[in-house]
Amino acid sequence: MTFLPSIPNLLATAAEGPVGGGFWMPRQASPIADVVDDIFFFILWISVFFFVLIVALMVLFVIKYRRREGQERQPSASHNTVLEVTWTIIPLILVIIIFYVGLRGYVGMVQEPLNAYEVWVTGQRWFWSFEHANGAVQSDRLTVPAGRPVKLKMTSTDVIHSFYIPDFRLKKDVVPGRYTYLWFEAPEPGQYQLFCAEYCGAQHSQMTGIIEVVPADQFEDIITQKANWIDDYADEDLARAGLRLYPRCQSCHTLDGSRLQGPSFRETHRLWGQQRVLDDGSEVTVDENYVRNSIINPASQIVMNYPNVMPTFQGQLKEREVRALIEFIRKLDEVVDESGNPIE
Amino acid sequence: MSMLTADHPGPQSNYLTHSRGILSWLFTLDHKRIGVMYLISILASFFVGGVLALLVRTELIAPGETIMGQDTYNRTFTMHGAIMIFLVIIPSIPAALGNFVLPIMLGAKDVAFPRLNLTSYWLWVLGAIFAVTSMVMGGVDTGWTFYAPYSTEEARTGVVYVTVGAFILGFSSIFTGLNFIVTIHRLRPRGMTWFRMPLFLWSLYATSIIQILATPVLGITLLLLIVERVFQVGIFDPALGGDPVLYQHFFWFYSHPAVYIMILPAMGIISELISIHSHKHIFGYRFIAYSSIAIALFGFLVWGHHMFTSGQSAVVNAIFSAITFSVSIPSAIKVFNWLATLYKGSISLNTPMLYALSFIFIFTIGGLTGLFLGTLATDIHLHDTYFVVAHFHYVMMGSALIAMIGGMHHWWPKITGKMYSEVMGRLAWALVFVGFNVAFFSQFMLGSQGMPRRYHDYSDTVGNWLPEKTELFHLYHVISSIGSYVMAIGFFLILFYLLHSIFKGRRAPANPWGGRSLEWQCASPPPHNNFDTPPAVGDCYDYSVLEWDAEEGGYHWREDVPHPNGEET
Amino acid sequence: MTDAAESTTETTHEHADHGEGHIVSIPTLVATGIVLLFLTWVTVWAAGRDWGPANIWVALGIAALKGSVVALIFMHLRWDRPFNGIVFVGSLAFVTLLIALAMVDTSEYQEDLHRGDAPAVRDTLQEVQP
Repeated sequence: MTFLPSIPNLLATAAEGPVGGGFWMPRQASPIADVVDDIFFFILWISVFFFVLIVALMVLFVIKYRRREGQERQPSASHNTVLEVTWTIIPLILVIIIFYVGLRGYVGMVQEPLNAYEVWVTGQRWFWSFEHANGAVQSDRLTVPAGRPVKLKMTSTDVIHSFYIPDFRLKKDVVPGRYTYLWFEAPEPGQYQLFCAEYCGAQHSQMTGIIEVVPADQFEDIITQKANWIDDYADEDLARAGLRLYPRCQSCHTLDGSRLQGPSFRETHRLWGQQRVLDDGSEVTVDENYVRNSIINPASQIVMNYPNVMPTFQGQLKEREVRALIEFIRKLDEVVDESGNPIE
Repeated sequence: MSMLTADHPGPQSNYLTHSRGILSWLFTLDHKRIGVMYLISILASFFVGGVLALLVRTELIAPGETIMGQDTYNRTFTMHGAIMIFLVIIPSIPAALGNFVLPIMLGAKDVAFPRLNLTSYWLWVLGAIFAVTSMVMGGVDTGWTFYAPYSTEEARTGVVYVTVGAFILGFSSIFTGLNFIVTIHRLRPRGMTWFRMPLFLWSLYATSIIQILATPVLGITLLLLIVERVFQVGIFDPALGGDPVLYQHFFWFYSHPAVYIMILPAMGIISELISIHSHKHIFGYRFIAYSSIAIALFGFLVWGHHMFTSGQSAVVNAIFSAITFSVSIPSAIKVFNWLATLYKGSISLNTPMLYALSFIFIFTIGGLTGLFLGTLATDIHLHDTYFVVAHFHYVMMGSALIAMIGGMHHWWPKITGKMYSEVMGRLAWALVFVGFNVAFFSQFMLGSQGMPRRYHDYSDTVGNWLPEKTELFHLYHVISSIGSYVMAIGFFLILFYLLHSIFKGRRAPANPWGGRSLEWQCASPPPHNNFDTPPAVGDCYDYSVLEWDAEEGGYHWREDVPHPNGEET
Repeated sequence: MTDAAESTTETTHEHADHGEGHIVSIPTLVATGIVLLFLTWVTVWAAGRDWGPANIWVALGIAALKGSVVALIFMHLRWDRPFNGIVFVGSLAFVTLLIALAMVDTSEYQEDLHRGDAPAVRDTLQEVQP
């Protein structure tokens, strides 16, 4: 029974709630979370009141008026218009209030502040990529400044995804063919969970990420460094830079030779300089040009027996980054061992 | 009508013994036999869907891969949803119980179009075959909602089979709805005005309106989906110039009213059960009847509340949120009226009544949690999390299916002519009720804490998971899975004692519960023709004319009250 | 047009008066058929000419005319109780509702669409136009 958790541990977790959160809601990491939680608990207490009222009356009636041998039923009316209109009007008033409160909270969510820091977000199976104004590109991890509004301009290259940060109480679908927008502000530095909330296929549950909120005064340095990180690598060391880019490939390409959606880099590495059979039966030489073409225009050369699912990375990788990936595959055995672990 | 069954039935003959042989069932035009065939087929589908649900719950009992990989998991939850919705819940009450009970409640010999009725059943079978074919063809992993452009990608061959299946099932549903509307309009007996109909008929009538108005839109949407896939015409797929959000509009225009196809007849059953087992006139008949129609009509105006985060514009979001709340009012009216019916009643806690009371409990939770989802600000957080999963299981399974099980117990003596064991019935009810709440209440917290739905894995060793989330999600998943196993034991127990009752059960009297509607005035099981002469109709919720007969184990007409037909039934 | 007595008895004893309903004479049906065939010819003729921005309205107008003829005569709506007419119009109202609300929404986010960025369409167009 190893899959069963340690019950006392878990009960302790539930009682305390997750880090900084409560029994119902996770921690509040944005001003909007505060508003949403207030509305949530407002509705919760109305619901608890009505639930207790209904169930208590039901139990009371069942006990008091249960069928007894030889006892005649007391007469009672079969309708009462005043009563019925009353219990139509009261819920009506309540739901109008709830609607209004919810609408007000929602307007606060969609009204964008003017001085927001903008990030372009692309969802594709099964990772998130983030592009900053200074050219820094991040994958599955978004670094943003604390205490400053951040606006996300999001689109998808394949199917619908949904950008969801529970601690911010925010969610927005990321739709192919159009842009959707989301903004947030996180006052506290820290790490916050990002989920894909719209089902998008096989590895939907691994399309997760982390929002990394850093102090505003350090943000500028961090993001500048991120934009230029690849320049810190010498030309002969580019393969190692490729290893850092590899997380963007790993959902489809392994390093240990096993098969996922796309061919393993190990296999491509073994075939370097040799011929590879494509799905139309033609052959292509595995070289720098082939790898570059596979990144920029993947649909043009699908390896035999593999599906045509890879999106293009044109515009998402700098020229030097493409070179780094080419070097990475060419010199794979110098950078990682047989099972794909980095060699120091 | 009864060309196939031309032999002369003896005095003891009923619809079960009226004619023999498998063909006399498969091609029967008798609404009772069609109802029974539907019941058996739907319960078989429920078994398949239930096993898939248990597989899903077992996979999620621990983080990481537990019993199946991600592709298998995605196919499993898709088939669970598609089977439970299209093959089980939508047809369960109208097509199985409604088919059996509706004409008898009207004192009619059959539905208005018996051949259409049989066609509807066989279309159901055909649709089910397509669904099974897709499983054989490698399965479908799109989720039961078939969202474009995921579902229109070429790799998904199974999608065509399932959508064709759902398209055919839609026709089956339309035929049943059409049949019921005409039957209720044309075949009511002398004296049964609209406001003297049993409330179950009102709810079936409201359901039929939705089936006829909404189902064609599903048909068209699925056709467009197939056209896009097969001919590469850009409708929903942006790669072809289409609009994926438009698909969601079309899909939910049917699928939201479909929720009311599921819940309205359930509410009708509950109105019957509460009144009959309390031996008291239903409280506020007209409000309940009107609220069914109100739900049916308002139900068409709220589909956009499934799309608050989809990229639907803020203005449209606000409109849909406002209208959504209007649907909650008629539902609240019903709950309060049921409570008032219990007041000063004479309540027998028979198995069907236990289901009816647990319906009120569960539906109250399901309805109230709907408030969180109709409210814009909170829905943004809760949408597509387990909170939604818990909410719709409370409504669709805990309410619609529980009412169906309750109704099945209520009419079981009428359908089979046998009584089941009350002790076993109550025991199984307790298992189902407790198991259900354990399984699904934990999912509310799971969702509000942020667990997205349709996740195969929540382990912090893969991808970018913060460990704090994994730990908490694990707890609730374990609780939920344990509840689902308890519930499964309860359902197996029901299967066992119901089968046992058919062979070993006590003979059922004509009226075991003390019901006043017409089906309790004919024998159990009913004769082939239901009634030789159209029965006279009184107030179907006035129980003062009935009295308990201990010898018979059922109720009969009081000696001192003249029977409207002038004779005893 | 409609038998008033029949509609008022709707709520009470229906067994007594559901008769055969109206029977449309063969010549009427044949004439309707010819009208429909003529309208089909009009459809084809209209499709061959360019009406400019009115194209869609001309096409929809002819289609609506054909639909009305079918509903009124072939489907007997003309001789039916007004209730059935209300149901028919009501169902049209639901269709209008679906299309109207969906269109209100899509028009709201038009500016966010990637204009002309439909890869498959673009590729096809490039193939078609050398």
